[in-house]
Amino acid sequence: MAESSTLICEENQHENVPVYEFMDVNSKEFHIGAFRDLWLDVLNPEVYSYSVTAPEIEDVEFMEEMGIEPKTLEELKSICSVDSLRSGHDGTDNVPSDLHLSTLKLRKRRQDYKETLTRYTVDRHEVYANEMEMTSVGKKPDDLRDLIPEGEIILTFNIMYPILFRRFKFVRAYQTLHVLGSQKLSDLRDAICCVSDLQVFGEFSNTPDMVPQFISKDHYKSAFFFFNGTFFNDTRFPECQDISKTTQEWTRTRDFPEFKTAKMEDTSFYDLKMKVGFPYLYTHQGDCEHVVILTDVRFVHQDDCLDIKLYPLITHKHRVVTRKCSVCHLYISRWITTSDALAPTDPCLFCDQCFRMFHYDDKGNKLGDFLAYAYVDPGTFN
Amino acid sequence: MSRKKLCEYYWAPFKSDCEELLGRFQQTESVRYEEFSAIWREMDFSGVFFGTQSDHEKRYFTRLIFTIAYRYILPPYSFQIRVGGLYMIYGLYNTQLIWPKEKIRIALKDWYDVQKLIADAKSCQHLDVVYIFKRLLSSKAFCFTAMPQKLTFEARERVQHNVNEEFRDHKNRVTELASIEMLEEIANMHGHYERLKKSSVPPSSGVTLLNLTYLVQKCAFEYQQWQDKIAVTSEFNNLRLLPLFLQSSSRAVMLAAIKSKSYGHVSKGTKSRRHRQVEMVTSGSGTDHALFSQKRRPPSLRTRTWQNFGKPSEPEQTQEWLLSVMEEDKNALKRKDIRRFKWRNNWL
Repeated sequence: MAESSTLICEENQHENVPVYEFMDVNSKEFHIGAFRDLWLDVLNPEVYSYSVTAPEIEDVEFMEEMGIEPKTLEELKSICSVDSLRSGHDGTDNVPSDLHLSTLKLRKRRQDYKETLTRYTVDRHEVYANEMEMTSVGKKPDDLRDLIPEGEIILTFNIMYPILFRRFKFVRAYQTLHVLGSQKLSDLRDAICCVSDLQVFGEFSNTPDMVPQFISKDHYKSAFFFFNGTFFNDTRFPECQDISKTTQEWTRTRDFPEFKTAKMEDTSFYDLKMKVGFPYLYTHQGDCEHVVILTDVRFVHQDDCLDIKLYPLITHKHRVVTRKCSVCHLYISRWITTSDALAPTDPCLFCDQCFRMFHYDDKGNKLGDFLAYAYVDPGTFN
Repeated sequence: MSRKKLCEYYWAPFKSDCEELLGRFQQTESVRYEEFSAIWREMDFSGVFFGTQSDHEKRYFTRLIFTIAYRYILPPYSFQIRVGGLYMIYGLYNTQLIWPKEKIRIALKDWYDVQKLIADAKSCQHLDVVYIFKRLLSSKAFCFTAMPQKLTFEARERVQHNVNEEFRDHKNRVTELASIEMLEEIANMHGHYERLKKSSVPPSSGVTLLNLTYLVQKCAFEYQQWQDKIAVTSEFNNLRLLPLFLQSSSRAVMLAAIKSKSYGHVSKGTKSRRHRQVEMVTSGSGTDHALFSQKRRPPSLRTRTWQNFGKPSEPEQTQEWLLSVMEEDKNALKRKDIRRFKWRNNWL
């Protein structure tokens, strides 16, 4: 009776309850909208709301639920209060002297080791790792209409920088984006910062003053996401082509299952079926490929950033070393020259001023024979 | 490499601290919060947060210990250990040193188990368990997620989650069979069957109907009594465990008796579980788990060529600039080994 109905419920739930496919690596596929509905079924709305219920109301509810008297509740409160957990020590910066816990023993050992070092090295990456996230935590919007509705899901994506093999041997650089479940895939696409979007074409050695009219982002607008056998293409602009077609034609000649296509701007994250922790693909500019991993799917909490206008929110960006000019080593390089007889290396980087001083005379004539291209440094997003 | 990975070294010591705390709690054979907080204060457990200077490290450490402590609320641990885990999480959440507070991530698949735990506690009138859980909910300590931790597909040491055999829940199969729901079902089906028989076939006096429910219940009770007799812990301890506010209905008494007995016998469990091998290997066994050794770089092309095609001995690394120096001095110019901090000692 009661057992059989719970069994039926469990079968429905099993489909969309996320479980591990490989332990600690990634989960099985589940539908995000259905997952959200499952949670909403089991949760009391007060639990995930932003407001806090008054303690008196909570007390009354508790007494009714358990059938106890106020006196018992008072006794319970005094026993279970937070004061019962306080430790005797006040100073939290140093490890207390009486070591009983093995965690503290390890920490004391490390502290002693650090004191023996002559130089105090600080890992700047770690010190500022959370800085970006902390600037947006707890932000409430001025306009209440921009408040994220309660019960909304936040997805966290790690988007890796495109693989350039020599540079990314030891470090896997990525940016972390938070998106809301109700937003579309195209919003995510717009929020991804990739340096290849800013590349400018053309050889400008003869016309260094001509300001380029366009950047690649405006010129080549097609992009796609590939999630679980479906290509989501960007079809917002007339210039966008379906760049996934070539891949699909290739797979048809081989032994691959049939892949589907869908539109990026029509799909919201609630419609997707995803695996958590599994690498997916994002391609733009024709061949700039990024690995995309969905790291986390969770409910919005009152301590998160609650301003809907700020989403998709970037919480972590890997810092890339900027390349300076080869002449002055002061300014960030804006020009790159090849087959330049005057330059020490091929190719060679120059900042704007050094470039002009070096390659052009007072009247603006070109000195020597070279090819110059505009260079966008990968560290522009730092 | 990055300090994030260095924080992972705290996994093994913190796990042993948790096990010590829960082990002591298990020995008290009670689920009262007072006992738990007494042990907590004695061990000064809130001190695990002390000693870290940087905010970032504090946050990462807090997240790590929540991941470790969270596992103790879920099955296959016994009821007492799960309650102890809940208290531990309450304690750790309230004594953390960072703001904004790090939340406890709870996955959907685990939420059902936690709800069952709280429902059991409610039916046995364990007020402190329910109250603490409600306090955690109202202080918005939980973060409702898909998976218990963030999965980033990074190559990292695979931590083995081995379940402490002493904390494992020993299922009392007989009581499960003779549980209230099962007895109700049997009684219902029995009544239904009798009604059908009466309506279809004229009653024959030759057949005496067995009261199945009564028989099953009796057998289960006899088994329980036999178990009690041979158990090491005395009945006196069991009486101490009975909840303070008993309902007058017999059903609650039965349930409470079953529950109290099931966790009162943790020290001497059913022998049927012994044949199960411990599947996992302990996590602190050394560096062979590391998927990427951080100290040594992969061998260069030159060394590899020598190893594959050249002379059997390792090629001499002659440093040309030292050729003019005298033999004795060469030792002095050797690069001294940088004293690195050994995270793992023999005892870890």
